[in-house]
Amino acid sequence: MAASESSRYLARSLPRAFVPSVRPQGFCVRRNASDQASSRSPAVDLGELESTGALLPGASESEAVKSFDPAALAKGRKKQLPRSRYQFRSPKYDRGPLHPHRPPPPSDPSSRLYVPGPFSLPRVDQTYQSSVASDILTLCYVHNPPGFKPPQKSARLRTWDDSSPYHKNRPLRGPRGGDVLRLLRKPITFNNIPKIERITIHSYVKQAAQENSGWLHVAGMAVQAISNSRVETFKSKTSVATWGIVPGRDTVSVKAELRGENMLHFFGKMVDIVMPRIKDWDGVKGSSGDSSGNITFGLEPENVALFPEIEVNYDMYPPKMIPGCHITIHTTAKTDKDARLLLSAMGIPFYGKMVN
Amino acid sequence: MSSGSNGARRIASVLRPSIANPGVCRSCQEKTLGRRSYAAAATNTAEISSSPSSTTAFPVIKPSYTINAGVLLSRPPQITRDLTPFEKAYFFYQKRLNERLALPFTKYFYFKRGTPADEDWKRKIRERQTAARDIGKYNAYADDAWNDELLVGAAESEPDHQVEMLVQDAEATVNATSQDTSKKEEIPRPFSRMTEADQQGDMKSLNRALQRTLYLFVQSKDGYWKLPSSPIEKEETLRLAVERTLAQSAGVNMNTWLVGFHPVGHHVYNFKKPRLDEANGIEHRGEKTFYIKGRIMTGQADLTVNTQGLKDFKWLAKEEIPKFVGLTYYSNIKNMLADR
Repeated sequence: MAASESSRYLARSLPRAFVPSVRPQGFCVRRNASDQASSRSPAVDLGELESTGALLPGASESEAVKSFDPAALAKGRKKQLPRSRYQFRSPKYDRGPLHPHRPPPPSDPSSRLYVPGPFSLPRVDQTYQSSVASDILTLCYVHNPPGFKPPQKSARLRTWDDSSPYHKNRPLRGPRGGDVLRLLRKPITFNNIPKIERITIHSYVKQAAQENSGWLHVAGMAVQAISNSRVETFKSKTSVATWGIVPGRDTVSVKAELRGENMLHFFGKMVDIVMPRIKDWDGVKGSSGDSSGNITFGLEPENVALFPEIEVNYDMYPPKMIPGCHITIHTTAKTDKDARLLLSAMGIPFYGKMVN
Repeated sequence: MSSGSNGARRIASVLRPSIANPGVCRSCQEKTLGRRSYAAAATNTAEISSSPSSTTAFPVIKPSYTINAGVLLSRPPQITRDLTPFEKAYFFYQKRLNERLALPFTKYFYFKRGTPADEDWKRKIRERQTAARDIGKYNAYADDAWNDELLVGAAESEPDHQVEMLVQDAEATVNATSQDTSKKEEIPRPFSRMTEADQQGDMKSLNRALQRTLYLFVQSKDGYWKLPSSPIEKEETLRLAVERTLAQSAGVNMNTWLVGFHPVGHHVYNFKKPRLDEANGIEHRGEKTFYIKGRIMTGQADLTVNTQGLKDFKWLAKEEIPKFVGLTYYSNIKNMLADR
């Protein structure tokens, strides 16, 4: 068996060894685009480049640059330019690739879908890139000697044992002890270091159903103020008899979903301004989390009022109507343990028993 | 098993592209992955046991190295980095675009009519023409709103200028709405991004180069600069050795945190001529140093009580390190260092 297998290898690999190679074998000089660029003498290429950029402080102060004034140029023009020179309206609908007028891509400022940004380089992101990510990578490193093969794990979905003819073509069974398939946690390497993906701010205002919609308006304004993004409103899905809430009738909650720059600025404000000022607060409970890397905690109304956007303008909010909210931090970590490692490195304190 | 099949397998394993694991070097593959028959293993052990060092159970590796534990002690960046000219221009352009595309500022929500704050707001909007305080004088709803790009040499996109505008705006509000008109209120400016230590070139201070990661380097008694390190003693783990090194070299007056238990890099130093140890006939080739990463929280290095004969220390950013250390040493440690 073994002999036949090895001779099979031999039979396969021998012809390959004797095939004349396209490249000359004697000296292996592999050339890449990068070393091609570096091998050329720099003086030849750099002569073509401008020595100073327009953005640098010592930019060229030529006559043309000094006298350039687009506003005066436009005012001094006797005849109006043809409309096509200064006005472009994107067609409203994309009628397909064969249509003569198609809207520009959403990244084009003239597109109707264009969203400006980013406007800054958030501090939280810089901290993450410069110190947190590399520390997490070091902490999560697991050393395996070369040639180590992890022990085989059984399949996550179990097969039927074919003891009955009715097992044929049945879908696979779920795992033992419950039918929830947990996320697979792969070893953390340089390309899957956990990071914050998005933050959801959610506020359930029961008085919006009991009293008037003013509660919901104030809650929406407060959440918009602290998050810098539009909120969505939601109707109740469940019936709460004690509060008189009927599913499908009462609009009771607002939610804002933050990504990118908004999320990072919100996270920074929450960790550095709001959390240190919350009185008698231990931190986020260690048992919080949905066991797939998303951590949720709540803020009381008096804590929400500590956000600087609300604090500077506190008189404008009816003080009783400032909402509390639930904040969910969605991370790319696959387990709560990794998510907690990330968040505690970014400055969120945890307390109590850590549950995964 | 016939010897012929074994030989064929050897040849095949050499010829075929590595099927086992392309990330593992050939010597490791042959050691751990190569399929060895029990008989071959038995003959190997027999050879080892028949060799002169038969009294020891484990074969001693002939050329020996001193194993050192080193620490890469760093102070992370304290402030955000300076923006490049392109980033400044880009962010500014995006802010003005946003001003053109966003809904107008809802003044009625923030300012009640007839209040001093409302009067102040009206005065400012007449000057500035926009609610935003960091985009200069620009009206997004005027006829010449298309003229939203800065000319060469304009200061509006500079962060310093924007901060100054914000502070002046706040001062104007305070002075306009306060009861006492006799004295002018001063709002403190943010601290300078350059510190005193930066201006004096004090490389021992932890208050320097706030935008960069700083690393602790020490000068040995021979005069060359290195990361703190010392030989690992018997029955000591790498982590314990690093803690001891830190205490023995830079004093205990530092609150540090060692990141994990694994080294983040290593440096091999070979002597010019291998030294032969007469007692047991072992060739001594040089030193291997394994570095564990550490972070300093508070405190400062103190060499007065060090037991390693160190002369001096410095906190260096990445681009300053090559001025002090040798080329080989730097090329070995540079991949452990953060870009910023």
